[in-house]
Amino acid sequence: MSGPPSAAADTALLDSVATGALSWLGAYRDRFRLPADVTTDADPNLTLKPLGELAELARLIQELHPRADVREAAAELFAFAWEQFGRGALHAELMRNEPQAVYPVELYGVFARAGLRHPAADALLTTVTGLRRWRVAGGDHTRTLSVLNAERRIGVPLHADPGAVFALTGLGLRAEPWLLDLRAAYGLTHDVFHLTDWGRARHRMAAPFAAYLRLWLPCWLEGELERELWDLVGELLAVAACLPRPWYPADVWRRLAAAQRPDGGVPERSDPADGPYRDDPFLTCYHSTLVTAFAATLARVGTDTTPDDSTGPARATAPGRESEAAP
Amino acid sequence: MIADAASGVALALRGEGDPYALSRVLRQSDALAPAAVRVLGADALAPYAADHHTPAAGDEDRGVVQAALAAFPPGADASAVSVWSYRGLVEASHAFLPGGPDRWPQPPDAASGWVEADPWPRLAHRASQLAALALPGLSPALADALTTRTDDLARGFVRAVRRRDWLQAAGLGRWLARLPGVPPTLGLDAGLAFIGHMGGGDARVALHLVAARCFYGRGE
Repeated sequence: MSGPPSAAADTALLDSVATGALSWLGAYRDRFRLPADVTTDADPNLTLKPLGELAELARLIQELHPRADVREAAAELFAFAWEQFGRGALHAELMRNEPQAVYPVELYGVFARAGLRHPAADALLTTVTGLRRWRVAGGDHTRTLSVLNAERRIGVPLHADPGAVFALTGLGLRAEPWLLDLRAAYGLTHDVFHLTDWGRARHRMAAPFAAYLRLWLPCWLEGELERELWDLVGELLAVAACLPRPWYPADVWRRLAAAQRPDGGVPERSDPADGPYRDDPFLTCYHSTLVTAFAATLARVGTDTTPDDSTGPARATAPGRESEAAP
Repeated sequence: MIADAASGVALALRGEGDPYALSRVLRQSDALAPAAVRVLGADALAPYAADHHTPAAGDEDRGVVQAALAAFPPGADASAVSVWSYRGLVEASHAFLPGGPDRWPQPPDAASGWVEADPWPRLAHRASQLAALALPGLSPALADALTTRTDDLARGFVRAVRRRDWLQAAGLGRWLARLPGVPPTLGLDAGLAFIGHMGGGDARVALHLVAARCFYGRGE
């Protein structure tokens, strides 16, 4: 990989990547369909989680992508997900089954943000999120940011101070960049997604954190490119596009585009034998394909608002120096 | 042999053991001594640059270095790293060994276009191979040029630690200890300590870490 210049985005490449990914997601749409035992025996990691990700990211693409055909394809996927959730009836059932769990509320927030509500779910939410129990942290600080974002979307009182929670995340602490293992990397990308409402509110990222990300993203990306971990490459590219001043690393985008298969699917890693679901093209591809479509959308939006700031490798170190002025 | 010599240098930089003499760590009579000096480069003389070193270098030290310089001059097709490391040894000889400038070869011209032109991963790799030049007063022009790429060297440090390439990481950390303007979010001191815990068993890694601490006060 060459230096970290921020070239003008290649909109043709981004659109090809996004339309390919959406075409794959459309072709595999039935694999997101929930089974009859979704609330009992089914593994939520193979049912609710993929469908929730589909809803979150398809909705964002539907809202933001500049091309009508892409928005339309995403809208169909989002509508499919809402139908799968029984137009909110399933959210209500999940809340009744597990009133202490945060995931039904997070899942409901995706739709509530789009104005889709269900009366029973809304009634349950008031009770569930009003409990003292609700304020007991159900996970790490990154997950708490996700819950806070869901509360904001739904319109219930925030159970904690988002600033104080953010301050304790990997991004909020600006953790040592050399200690970023896989778990910390996924935490960091989600700190960004929850903070910026998945790239919709880039202005929420204060300058010191933007400078931190701009400084270290090149070496994190380089590491994931070497390992060919395409879902994390996609997430980090999405983070680059969530910066108040988006960064478009053209060479990384070309590598990701080259990893995309002819049918539009993007494998989590180049050698599927490394992964747990090597025999199942849906399970090996759905997450990275969704992430790729999401990142390509944000990068595409960023190009519409950012002037070309092509620079050479030496010049491109300048954004990093911003961090020296940071507190 | 190189590991033993590196350990000897590191020990001296810590101010431990007997007063340093290159000619005791690498005896001139040993056939491999010139090669070891060539590999260590300027670091063979690093203890003479340390504040706490009292005995001056002697004639026997000079003999060991002269043999190395004579045996391994960079050829016409030598890499930039090879020329720079040779140059570092010559510069250190001028600075720290007895005898006037006429007793030592002139430092050869070494190409420096790569400092500006290299993409950051290659820049970081080359700089780490030249970490022995991160000694007080040595190669100021190279240090100045690297100062314009501090962020990129820091990125190389991050990449090297994540790859558990402790030698490259320690070499880059040593340069960053010398250079101004290192990004605070890197956490250089903690990073150097971390490398020591993970890779400090390698004598060459340990040498870079102790040099960063001895000359620039960075690290644990």
